[in-house]
Amino acid sequence: MWDAVISVFINILLIIYEFLGHNFGLAIIALTLIIRLLTYPLTAKQMKSTQAMQDLQQSKEWKEIQKKYKNDKEKLSQEQMRIYKEKGVSPFGSCLPTLIQFPIIIALYQSITRSLAVTPLQLLNLSKHISYGAALIPLNRQFLWMDLSQPERIYIAGFGFPLLAVLVAATSYLQTKMMTPVNPDSGDQSSQMNQMMSLYMPLFMGWLAYSFPSGLAIYFITSNLASIIQYALMGRLDWKNLLPKSMQK
Amino acid sequence: MTKKLTIPLLAALLLMLALSSCSGSRLQASGWPGITADDETAYIAFSTQVYAINLENGTERWRFPAVMEKNSKVTFYAAPQITDDGQVIVGGYNNILYSLDAKTGQENWQFEGATDRYIGSTLIVNGKIFAPSADKNLYALNLSGRSIWASPFTAENENWAKPAAGPDCDCVYLASMDHSVYAINPRDGSTLWRSEPLGGASVGSPAVSEDGKTLYIGSFLNELVAINAADGKILWKFPTADWVWTSPVLDGDTLYFADIAGNFYAVDRNTQSQLWSLPTGSEIVGTPLLTDDGLYFTNQAGTLYAVTRDGATRWTKEFDQPLHSGPIAAGDLLLVATDKGDLTLYAFNAEGAQQWQFTTAEEK
Repeated sequence: MWDAVISVFINILLIIYEFLGHNFGLAIIALTLIIRLLTYPLTAKQMKSTQAMQDLQQSKEWKEIQKKYKNDKEKLSQEQMRIYKEKGVSPFGSCLPTLIQFPIIIALYQSITRSLAVTPLQLLNLSKHISYGAALIPLNRQFLWMDLSQPERIYIAGFGFPLLAVLVAATSYLQTKMMTPVNPDSGDQSSQMNQMMSLYMPLFMGWLAYSFPSGLAIYFITSNLASIIQYALMGRLDWKNLLPKSMQK
Repeated sequence: MTKKLTIPLLAALLLMLALSSCSGSRLQASGWPGITADDETAYIAFSTQVYAINLENGTERWRFPAVMEKNSKVTFYAAPQITDDGQVIVGGYNNILYSLDAKTGQENWQFEGATDRYIGSTLIVNGKIFAPSADKNLYALNLSGRSIWASPFTAENENWAKPAAGPDCDCVYLASMDHSVYAINPRDGSTLWRSEPLGGASVGSPAVSEDGKTLYIGSFLNELVAINAADGKILWKFPTADWVWTSPVLDGDTLYFADIAGNFYAVDRNTQSQLWSLPTGSEIVGTPLLTDDGLYFTNQAGTLYAVTRDGATRWTKEFDQPLHSGPIAAGDLLLVATDKGDLTLYAFNAEGAQQWQFTTAEEK
């Protein structure tokens, strides 16, 4: 079943690749944008739920029960669920769209890496997925200065600088910072969690881009930039989040 | 999102990405064993080493490198080739072509001119070594490892196939992944002709007719193609069910070859008609072996087939691992290698009785 999903993605990638003049880098960018457009309703729903959750967690009633039941986890949990129910907010509302998108993200990622077959066994495995475009094999792996099947490096005086890994980390950081609202109560655990996420997630993504084929880095950068643009178009982007806390008020 | 859900979701994301298909710094080098044999020894290139195996009893004579360096990433998959003066020539995925002493496994020399992997085997003819590389070049060296051309021959895409020699013409034929077959002057590397476009990539060696007038090559366009050896024009095409990965074998007027849908074909080259086919249901990528006893071939499902020239199955042997490499004849022995995890080389006689086996082991 999963292989069938990968096959669909690979064949779409090949169609786009052929349409875009045998440019695999552009094909990755195009498919990523198409996927982002198709999953936009999920993204919008997730944003709405996230916003509702954040508004709720800033409300007076919420903060009161946090204080009142801070030593009684069970009662706190019950009260939280009661408020969720009363306000019509689902605690999973901002998670489920993300979970649904995970398989799509993984499928896209695997279709990119499998298409970049560079050894006999990889090419043989790729052949099982191809129903269109055998004449396109082998794919042109060159995109700008990169071999998309290898981790990207720009060599300056013998030193390989991982430009794409830096761009992946930077765009991931921008995306997380601009889309995460600032919590005025910086001692709050969820605020601390968000801060950790905004630091460690970009580093992790940067490490992936450093280690894995540059085709994947192209996907990450495109996806991050598309997210930022989507959020901006929805009016959810907050550039102030990029500023230090002291300058945000 | 509650913080209780954030951590599991983060962990899920990390795990999913970590478990997904790709492995690391470069797409993982992977292939199947390349096997060659002379009268006394089988030479196998697989994963990080080249092995020399005593044909008499299946014991290891030597391996190269003898001592593995820490973090060494060199791997070998192209079948080693043997020169008349006792060298074993083998290319690595580290872009280096090695010459090893056939008796001891000691390195004689290295050629470092390539900029990409050696996936296809070299052709050794008339004291010259023709080495196809994934960097699109074909290199020509003398037996001391020095280039004999001013510059390598360059195709328009990677070269995975072992070149073939023309029996009468002074030329070398190279099937490239740029959808062409080339005839190349072995003296200076100049192009004698480039074939009409095949429409699909080729990774097998061309079979050359005895009179030297026709080449036969399979392509990823689901075809076996006959090419005029004088000018590269396509003479005819035979359609198959899937990609033709194997090199065809020519026996008189009969061509034997297979596709990766698992169909083994026998085709009359004069009439282009199918004489018979044998469906096996699993990818066949290794070149079939033709001996006096008949044909032998393997498939990815792990079955070794022995069939007559008329297509009747004489016997089969099942293995619980894939068989990508084609069988090799070594004297009276038939050699096949499985390729999942450790390498195991099996030696059979013509009736399918196992004589010995050799297995690589990490503790050695």
